Amino acid sequence: MQTVKQTSPYIRKDVSTKRMMIDVLIALIPVVAFSIYRFGFDAILRILVSLIVMIGLEALIFGITHKPAKLEKRWERIKSRYVDYTINNITAPAISAIIFAMIIPSKLPIYAVVMGAAFGIMIAKMLFGGLGSNIFNVAAAGRIFIALAMTSMFDGTYVGVDLVAGGTALTSLRSGLGFPGVLASYRLSELFFGFIPGAMGEISAAAILIGAAYLIIRKSADYRVMLSTALTFTVLMFFAGLKLYPDMTIEYVLLQLFSGGLMFGIVFMVTDPVTSPITRPGRWIYGLLVGIVIVLIRLFGAYPEGVAFAILFANMFVPLIDYPKWSTNKVKPAFIAGFIVLLAIFSLVVFFGVGGTV
Amino acid sequence: MIAKTKYIPDGKKELKELPILHYLDADYVYYPVTSARCPEGETCVRGGQFVKVGEIVGTRKGAFFEQPMHATVSGEVVGYEKHIDNSGKVVDCLIVKNDRKYELHPSIVDRSDEEIAALQKQDFIQIIKDAGLVGLGGSAFPTYIKLETNDPIDVVIANGVECEPNLIADYSLMMNNPREVIKGLIYAMKASGAKRGVIAIKKKYKEIEERLKFVLQEFTEHDIKVETVGNYYPQGWELAMIKNALGIKIPQGELLSKYGVLNFNVSTLQSIYNAVKKRLPVLERLFTISGDGVQNKSFRARIGTLVTDLIELAGGYKDEEQPKVMVLGGPMMGTNIQRDDVVMTHTTTSLIVMNEKKEKEEPCVHCASCVYSCPVQIQPVQIMNAYKTKDKDALKMLEVNKCIECGLCSYVCPSKIHLTEYMRLGKRLAK
Repeated sequence: MQTVKQTSPYIRKDVSTKRMMIDVLIALIPVVAFSIYRFGFDAILRILVSLIVMIGLEALIFGITHKPAKLEKRWERIKSRYVDYTINNITAPAISAIIFAMIIPSKLPIYAVVMGAAFGIMIAKMLFGGLGSNIFNVAAAGRIFIALAMTSMFDGTYVGVDLVAGGTALTSLRSGLGFPGVLASYRLSELFFGFIPGAMGEISAAAILIGAAYLIIRKSADYRVMLSTALTFTVLMFFAGLKLYPDMTIEYVLLQLFSGGLMFGIVFMVTDPVTSPITRPGRWIYGLLVGIVIVLIRLFGAYPEGVAFAILFANMFVPLIDYPKWSTNKVKPAFIAGFIVLLAIFSLVVFFGVGGTV
Repeated sequence: MIAKTKYIPDGKKELKELPILHYLDADYVYYPVTSARCPEGETCVRGGQFVKVGEIVGTRKGAFFEQPMHATVSGEVVGYEKHIDNSGKVVDCLIVKNDRKYELHPSIVDRSDEEIAALQKQDFIQIIKDAGLVGLGGSAFPTYIKLETNDPIDVVIANGVECEPNLIADYSLMMNNPREVIKGLIYAMKASGAKRGVIAIKKKYKEIEERLKFVLQEFTEHDIKVETVGNYYPQGWELAMIKNALGIKIPQGELLSKYGVLNFNVSTLQSIYNAVKKRLPVLERLFTISGDGVQNKSFRARIGTLVTDLIELAGGYKDEEQPKVMVLGGPMMGTNIQRDDVVMTHTTTSLIVMNEKKEKEEPCVHCASCVYSCPVQIQPVQIMNAYKTKDKDALKMLEVNKCIECGLCSYVCPSKIHLTEYMRLGKRLAK
């Protein structure tokens, strides 16, 4: 009988990275289904293009970056580069691809879709070392790249824009009707169920919440980042609403919550474990950071929307949050106090800072 | 998934139902001359000499203590052979041929209750030292050293948690011999001057709680309580158990006695009872064979029995063509062995034989399951990264030395990364 050398522990829990990724794909189903229902073939085409580009490029670069074994036949050598290629090298880019497709508008030229997906997978992921090593959220990086490099291609790509409003809820809030006029064009129920113009997957808060519930029940995403981001955003927006529209604060906060990429970003992008800190307090701080930056961009920035920017910005601080000298998994009183103080400071900044037509 | 893991399926239910086979008369019994704690040792018997049960056959020498070895059968000393001890090392073993008469050594006579009542702290320590008692929970730390402390002891706690999966030795002891455990606890309280005694067991063992409480009615003059703690892993870790059973938070690295606490495994307490009342050393233990690669069975066997014999008696291995992983102890913290000719020592209570399951290591996705699950609140994934870059300062900042090697980080990792091994390597590097 043959015995094997191992070190303790000798048993493992029945969980796998594969299963976690498939859970995210399952959670994306309602969102994808709704986008196909709303935008039909446009949505299917862009999702497929994005999937092919991301999975294909990941496979290609994976092969290039892995050393082949010394073998006779050319085909055997190529195959030996893919010894470590697993299902995770398909599901992970598939998640990124679908998320990327969900945060672009339905009429965006295919060229821009290809460029964004390629930038995301090549520069933001494979260049850093592939699965588990990327610093920036892949989909957000791709989205920001095309938003900055091909700004004009986005003109007129949003379907279902209200003629009176003249733009999506957030653009018209900023430079058109303003609040509360925008509520006449886009009612809160429409915002919640997704019958508004916007990026393909971001519009329906209802579909996103179904996915969120699934992720939390399966524990495949950390509720802490979701909660922390949502809490920060709501609190800060509440103070903005209190200052600007004291009579309609609740409506203002709800409009801000359901419009733009906020819900989608909170559920599917901020929760990406690879680009999150690895401690409990770290994840709360990360969510706080994302929430603050979204609010600052929406209220004071040059763009109407800032979820992707905020996520990339917070991604940069993850190594700092995780720095061994102060990272700890204990939830200490000092951390709770610090969190509340930061939230209070930015609430004041927002309260005294906002004004005008925002 | 991304959450704290506390429960591990323990597989004890099936094992508890196994019939216990009494196998107390092996033809030959073996006594390792050295052990993991005692790198040196010598025997004081000659080949051909006749020894009796309880007779001292040699002494093992550790860094700051000596430990006598006792014969557990009567018979003739026939020589030496090399076998594996419970740390997986090959050691010299003294062989005694069992004559199956089990004649007791003349020194082994019961103490009367009056004699015991007259014993002082120093007497208890001497008795325990002479009986060679060690921590039977697995540490094999000499028991008398714990009792020698000069700190005032307020409470003696009996650890009956046994949180590792597949282990049932303490469970069946508390079920079958609760009186001996309680009397041992009373002696330990007397020896240390503690007023209180606490027996800590798992919440789900309702039957043990009832049994202990029923028996405790006979000992109402002593302040002994049964405390239940959660069914988690690693609840049997003494600091976690003391925190939950007594509410005393003891920082890592501090001596328990400074906080007025003494902790003994329930099996150790039973051995204290036997040493004080009957002047007997540890003669036999419950030994369980479990796992999917072998016929499962429980035995009562003498210290010194060869495990090979027990495996044969149980019915041998299953699926011989498959590679096996053999573990002494529990599946989370046990010792891996390559051969099955292990000699049963005081702390050997379980052999697990598993068919090998190959796990492919995937890249870490920073899910932080290991960080959330760590019972000592350190960050395994960061320690792994620091070890890979050989960053000693970071390892120290991350307090790798706090790691108790409970194995949870490897257990929960969805990418099947062997984090516990990185913890061990990190500890060695940070030294």
